[in-house]
Amino acid sequence: MTESKTAAPIITIRNVWKYFGQLPALQDVNLDVASGERVVIIGPSGSGKSTLLRSINRLEEIDKGEIRVQGQDIMAPENDINLIRRNLGMVFQQFNLFPHKTVLQNLTMAPIKLLGLSREEAEQRALGLLKKVGISDKANVYPAMLSGGQQQRVAIARALAMQPAIMLFDEPTSALDPEMVGEVLDVMVKLAEEGMTMVCVTHEMGFARTVADRCIFMDHGQIVEQGSPDALFNSPRHPRLRQFLNQVL
Amino acid sequence: MPNTENSHSKGNIVMVTDGASIPDPRESRLINAWSIALAGAIAALLALCLFWPEPYREILSYLLPDGVLITFKITVLSICCAVPLGLVTGLGRISRNRFINLLASTYVEVIRGIPLLVQIFYIYYALSRFFLVSGTTSAVIAISFCYGAYMGEVFRAGILAISKGQSEAARSLGFNRFQTMFYVVLPQAWRTILPPVGNECIAMLKDTSLVSIMAVPDLMHCARSFVGTTYLYFETYTIIALIYLIITLILSKCVSIMESRLNYYDGK
Repeated sequence: MTESKTAAPIITIRNVWKYFGQLPALQDVNLDVASGERVVIIGPSGSGKSTLLRSINRLEEIDKGEIRVQGQDIMAPENDINLIRRNLGMVFQQFNLFPHKTVLQNLTMAPIKLLGLSREEAEQRALGLLKKVGISDKANVYPAMLSGGQQQRVAIARALAMQPAIMLFDEPTSALDPEMVGEVLDVMVKLAEEGMTMVCVTHEMGFARTVADRCIFMDHGQIVEQGSPDALFNSPRHPRLRQFLNQVL
Repeated sequence: MPNTENSHSKGNIVMVTDGASIPDPRESRLINAWSIALAGAIAALLALCLFWPEPYREILSYLLPDGVLITFKITVLSICCAVPLGLVTGLGRISRNRFINLLASTYVEVIRGIPLLVQIFYIYYALSRFFLVSGTTSAVIAISFCYGAYMGEVFRAGILAISKGQSEAARSLGFNRFQTMFYVVLPQAWRTILPPVGNECIAMLKDTSLVSIMAVPDLMHCARSFVGTTYLYFETYTIIALIYLIITLILSKCVSIMESRLNYYDGK
C-alpha cells in the first residue's frame, strides 16, 4: 500500500465542486489515486460518491476544480475526452450491456471500431476475457439470456476489452440478487490481484476490507475520512462514519 | 428463462403508437381481426365479380393495373424521402445545438398545423412558379414533407425511449456522440420505431388518394374518371374501398412480420 504512493498519481482530483441545481453534490473534493492503487469509496446514498466516480470520466461535468487522468485535464477542450475514456473502463450498477449484440459482440465492438483491431484479434481478446470472468460458454447468446451476475461479469469483460489503465466501478453489485454478488466480487478481487488501478463505489464492506488499499468515506458531497480499511473500520474517528458503520455492519 | 429482474437488458419496449393497426406479431390464432378483415374483403371482391360481372368486373379491369401501380409508386417514393427526413428531423429535435433544434421543431410545428390536402395544393402552385413540375413530383414532395414531420416525432420518441445507461456505456468505452447514436442507440430504437413508422407508411398509402385532385392518375383518380363517364358511384367506390383495404391489410402484416424479426434478442 505505501510503496505505490510514491509514484506520480494516475488520477488527481483538485478542489472539485459539482452542483445539481442549487444543491452541491460535491464540495471541494480532493483525491489522488496512485497507479496500481485500489480505492474504495463508501458512504450513505446521496453522499456524492457515484457523482465523484462519474466525474472522473466526465459522465458528470464538474462545475469547479480540476480532474486529471494520467496528467491530462479531462475538462480541457484541447484534450479529446473520447481518447481519455478509452483508458477508463467503467462498470455500471445496471450493467448496461448492449441488448442487441451478442456477448461476444459486446466485447468486440469497441476494440474493432475504436482501436482498429481486426475481427479475429478482437474475438481472440474477447474470448480470453470471457474465460477470465468464467463465461466462455455464453459467447454467442444475447445478454437477456444471462443472469444478473453473468451480465455484470460480461460488463466487466467489455470494459477490460479496451485494455484500460484504470477501472471505475459504480456500485457493481447493488442491482444483483444476493446469491450472485459473490461471483462478481470474485472477478473484481482477481482483477485487483493483477494490479489493476481500481476506483470502486460499493456497499460491500467485506470487499472494501479485503481489497482496498485505501477507503474513502463520503458524506454530503465531502470526503469526511480516509485511510486504510483497517483504520476506517476498526477505529473510525468521525462521528458520521461511526454512525454509518453502525448502520451497515 | 434465468433472468427476470433486470428490465434494462431487455431493451425497453415502449409503445409509441397512436393505435393498433399493426397486427400483434405474437398473435398466433387463425381467426383474428386481421384475418377476418382480409378474408372478408377478398370474399366480397370475388363475390361481386363472380355474381355481378356486369359492372364490377369492368370497374376492376379499368382500375387495376395502372391505378394501383401509380398509387404504389407515389407511396414508395414518398416513403424513401419521408423516412430519412424523419430521421434527420428526429435527430434535430433532440439536438443540443439550439439552432438545429429550433429549425427542426419549427418545421414540425408548421407542417402539423396545415392539412395535407392544403400542402399538396400549396407545394404544387409554389413550385410551379419557378419550375415545370409534374403533379406526381409535387405530390411526392408534399407527402414526404408532411410525413417527414410526423415521423420525426416518432424517431424522437423512439430514441428517447432508449435508457440513458446505454449511451453512457457507449460513451464510457470511448465512442463519440455520433458513433453512440448509430452503433448503440438507433439499432435499438428501431424496434420501438418500426411499428409506428409502419403505421405512418400505411397511413401514407391511404393519403395518396388525395393526389387524385392534382390529376395524378392514381387509383382514386382512375375511379373518379370512371365514375365521370358511367355514373356508377356506389359500385365504383365499393371496389375502391375493398382494394385499399386489401392492400393496407397486406402491408400491415408485412410490418408485423418485420417487427417480430426485430425481437430476436429478447431471450423469449
